Amino acid sequence: MTLQLRAINKRFGERQVLNQLDLDVANGECVALLGASGCGKSTALRLIAGLDQPDQGSIRINGAEMVDVPAERRKVGMVFQSYALFPHLNVWENLELGLRMRGGTTSARDDRISSVLEVLQLSEQARQRPSQLSGGQRQRVALARALLRDPLVYLLDEPMSNLDAQLREDLRPQLRRLMIGGEQPVVYVTHDQQEAMALADRIAVMREGSIEQIGTPRELYLQPASTYIAQFIGRPQMNLLPAQKGVVTGIRPDDLRLDPDGTPCTILSREWFGSNQMLLVHCNSADLRLVCSGETEIDAEPRISWPTACEHRFDAVSGRRLPSD
Amino acid sequence: MKVRRWLATGALALVMSLGALVGSASFRAEEVSILMPSSFTDASADLVKAFNHQHRGRIHLKLIRGPLNTESISDLAISSLLLGDAPFDALLMDVTWLPKYAAAGWLEPLDTWFDRRDQEQLVQGARLGNDYDGHLYRWPLVADVGMLYWRTDLMDQPPTTPEELVAVAGRLVESQAVTNGFVWQGRQYEGLSCAFLEVLKGFGGNWMDTSSYTMELDTSAATAAASWLNDLISEGVSPYAVTNYAEAESLQAFKAGDAAMMRNWPYAWAELQKDDSRVKGKVGISLMVAQQGQRPGATLGSWGLSLMRQSQHQEAAVEAIRYLTSEAAQRERFLNNGYTPIQAELFNDTEMLKASPVLSDLMEALNHAVVRPPTPLYAQLSDVVQRELNGLFTDAGSADEAMATSQKLSQTLLRATGATP
Amino acid sequence: MTLLLASPALLLIAVVFGWPMLRYAWLSFHAHSVLTGLEPMANGGANWLRLAVDQRFWLDAGQTARFALISVGLELLLALAIALLLHQRWRGRGAVRALTLLPWALPTTMMALGWRWIFNSPYGPIEVLARSLGLNSLDLLSTPSITWLVTVFADVWKTTPFITLILLAGLQSIPEDLYGAFRLEGGTPVQALRSVTLPLLLPYILLSLLFRLAQAFGVFDLVQVLTGGGPAGSTESIALYAYFNGMRFLDFGYSSTVMLAGFLLLTSLILVGTLLLKSFGVLRHIDP
Repeated sequence: MTLQLRAINKRFGERQVLNQLDLDVANGECVALLGASGCGKSTALRLIAGLDQPDQGSIRINGAEMVDVPAERRKVGMVFQSYALFPHLNVWENLELGLRMRGGTTSARDDRISSVLEVLQLSEQARQRPSQLSGGQRQRVALARALLRDPLVYLLDEPMSNLDAQLREDLRPQLRRLMIGGEQPVVYVTHDQQEAMALADRIAVMREGSIEQIGTPRELYLQPASTYIAQFIGRPQMNLLPAQKGVVTGIRPDDLRLDPDGTPCTILSREWFGSNQMLLVHCNSADLRLVCSGETEIDAEPRISWPTACEHRFDAVSGRRLPSD
Repeated sequence: MKVRRWLATGALALVMSLGALVGSASFRAEEVSILMPSSFTDASADLVKAFNHQHRGRIHLKLIRGPLNTESISDLAISSLLLGDAPFDALLMDVTWLPKYAAAGWLEPLDTWFDRRDQEQLVQGARLGNDYDGHLYRWPLVADVGMLYWRTDLMDQPPTTPEELVAVAGRLVESQAVTNGFVWQGRQYEGLSCAFLEVLKGFGGNWMDTSSYTMELDTSAATAAASWLNDLISEGVSPYAVTNYAEAESLQAFKAGDAAMMRNWPYAWAELQKDDSRVKGKVGISLMVAQQGQRPGATLGSWGLSLMRQSQHQEAAVEAIRYLTSEAAQRERFLNNGYTPIQAELFNDTEMLKASPVLSDLMEALNHAVVRPPTPLYAQLSDVVQRELNGLFTDAGSADEAMATSQKLSQTLLRATGATP
Repeated sequence: MTLLLASPALLLIAVVFGWPMLRYAWLSFHAHSVLTGLEPMANGGANWLRLAVDQRFWLDAGQTARFALISVGLELLLALAIALLLHQRWRGRGAVRALTLLPWALPTTMMALGWRWIFNSPYGPIEVLARSLGLNSLDLLSTPSITWLVTVFADVWKTTPFITLILLAGLQSIPEDLYGAFRLEGGTPVQALRSVTLPLLLPYILLSLLFRLAQAFGVFDLVQVLTGGGPAGSTESIALYAYFNGMRFLDFGYSSTVMLAGFLLLTSLILVGTLLLKSFGVLRHIDP
């Protein structure tokens, strides 16, 4: 365990932003902090970096307590959502600034910068200002700067949220190649569950300042710990049936199937995506989402059913998952 | 510039409306207003009251209380005149303003109202500085000339020549009878030009011939005058501090008993007779020294009233001017405020003589009055001389150079303003 | 197309700036005084020849430049310190911010009148204080070697808030993340001031410098009210001299010459300044 957060509390004025947060990230592991905006995920990252101080709690890197170590001495490599490149310096100078402050010979510096620029295909842009670069190029410069830091931990704060969807998918392999799966623990903050599932070894879903559930993407998808997780992970959202005897039943839209022996229902809307399609149907006073193959013919009055084994059961009051019997 | 104008018109408008409010009781009467520095309006309050009583129902006179400072009141007047609609019918003017105002066409000649006989009643010095281009534009209100004040306890006779002054002062300083020999105005400002003009006349020189715009500052007389003033400082007859002295500083030094002689205006007399004066009763008045065979000069100060060309009430305004400058008015101002009269007769008046033992000395000085060059360009020409002289006193340099430069700069100025080709 | 879109703005500049300048330029080659009956009369380059040897003008130019450079320099340093302070978060900052800006809101003439009263001898509070401390009369407004410093003081007091405001806006435009990134790169907050804050504030510094230099070089109302240019002309500015030539001496030809010469001097001052900054590589940091 090389990154360890224990019982972190942080308030901003009246608002409790982090509440008894615990987190462990192992060497070479990538943990995604996933959550809606305001859930405290970015604050957690800033606390690890040392840019903000926790009110209580402990942060350890490789076992060493970091809370009293100023940010400039923590050795973390961070990629900001805004990239935080210095607008008055060109790419080369942006990368050189930190190396220069941390010492070392000029030739060693130049070698490192040249090679990292090459790896990130930025050699051509070395003398350009950030304002002259595309969004993807800026992001790569930010990555390069974090790499050159030789950090103990990588912190990525929504590093792709300013890029368009296509570019995001293109950059994922690069990110995995350069940072994720190396020796360092990686904390990856995002609000995009797809990105989290694609990149992270484990996902920590945060809600109101603490972690609601942490686990592998598969665990989160198959065994959501609460109705919140259940609806947060997986698209389209899990269907939740009206509570019966204190139990809420949830069924994934792809677990519903058309069945001539099933319950009759009416179609409210239909969205066709090619390989699959989504139907919104009204059935037994509930609206349900159903996903099936794009080839499937749909009757005017279809009937549907689902295997009981696919049901997820939650406590109607607490929303917590009930043990399967 | 704009702010200034606004202030000027604003201030005048305010004064006007207040005046109108007060004057509404006699709304049928012709309104006449005169702009003056506050010291004069304050000294004339009773006269105005009497005038308005005498002319009630016909003329109502109002004095606009302007700033005390000479330049400020000129700025105020010019600002409103340049705008083309001055809210006053007459203006109390310093002697140096007259050519400029007359040339600008702002003044109405007074020849129709004041004739030769009126002029002949004036003391010699008061007849000067009222004309421009052959017309009378100003009627004097008070006379004012530069004079030499001397200590009757330190010498029997005032010096009359430059050499005597230096000798007497030198002897007194050497014998430690007094700290300083002679104090005057050496600061770079108008007072220095006044002091210089007197010495220049004493050496037989002339500043300029205004009829042909010929400068005469590089003459041997002018150089000698400048050189003499400079030597006063370098030889210790005058303290180095005079290079930063205006009237007030000179008076302060003389009043404290620290100087044997002083160049100053008539107002100083009353100050020196006050109880806090250490030279009370030990002061005589004389003329500035002049070389053997030269006529001493006394630079003319003096204020007088001019009629505005735009005035809608010229007849009434002249009536007010006559009243304010009448013999009775002069007598009252002299007895109450110590303002020097302009009428020759008054200098022999027993009541007046009883009030001031130096009246005859004043008359003598007024008879030697000399005017600063009566040209619209006087302010700029004076600035050149002030700078060069003060530079001469404070930096090492020769009087020859200072005067040659003054001559050259003045000529350049005359050419640029269109005075000479 | 661009030109077409900009034409209303260009027209405005031409009318409010270009026209008076042309008028000054034209008048500067004319005698226009009471001696010409207040009518313009061509006099070749006589005004400019006079200007060349006019000690008063060159003295005023020196005094004006001294006033402008020292005032603006002090204002910049002070404003930078205040802006950095006001940019930090602390209790009561809002009230202090509002208070600091107060002098800027005060009309110059009123402020100058206030200082004139405060510094006047012998009744002003400063003199009274000096006397009660057993000091000699300070005569702050009648000692040529000191009075110009009083005008500098009054100007600094009045316009530091203005620069503070610009610099504060500049500071607020610097993203917080840049400081975070800088610290994570191993830089201390003090190094951040030099490597992040100042370079990124540079455009704002230059803007206020340019604006204030132009303003201070044209200083008029402050000296007119506070000292009237005295004592002995030691605080007279070019604008005041131009005003005197026009309003006091009624010499509008020369007044225009002085005004225009002042403008040309200012332009060359700024040009020289820009070249100096360029040669020191300061401008490199500004985004093209």
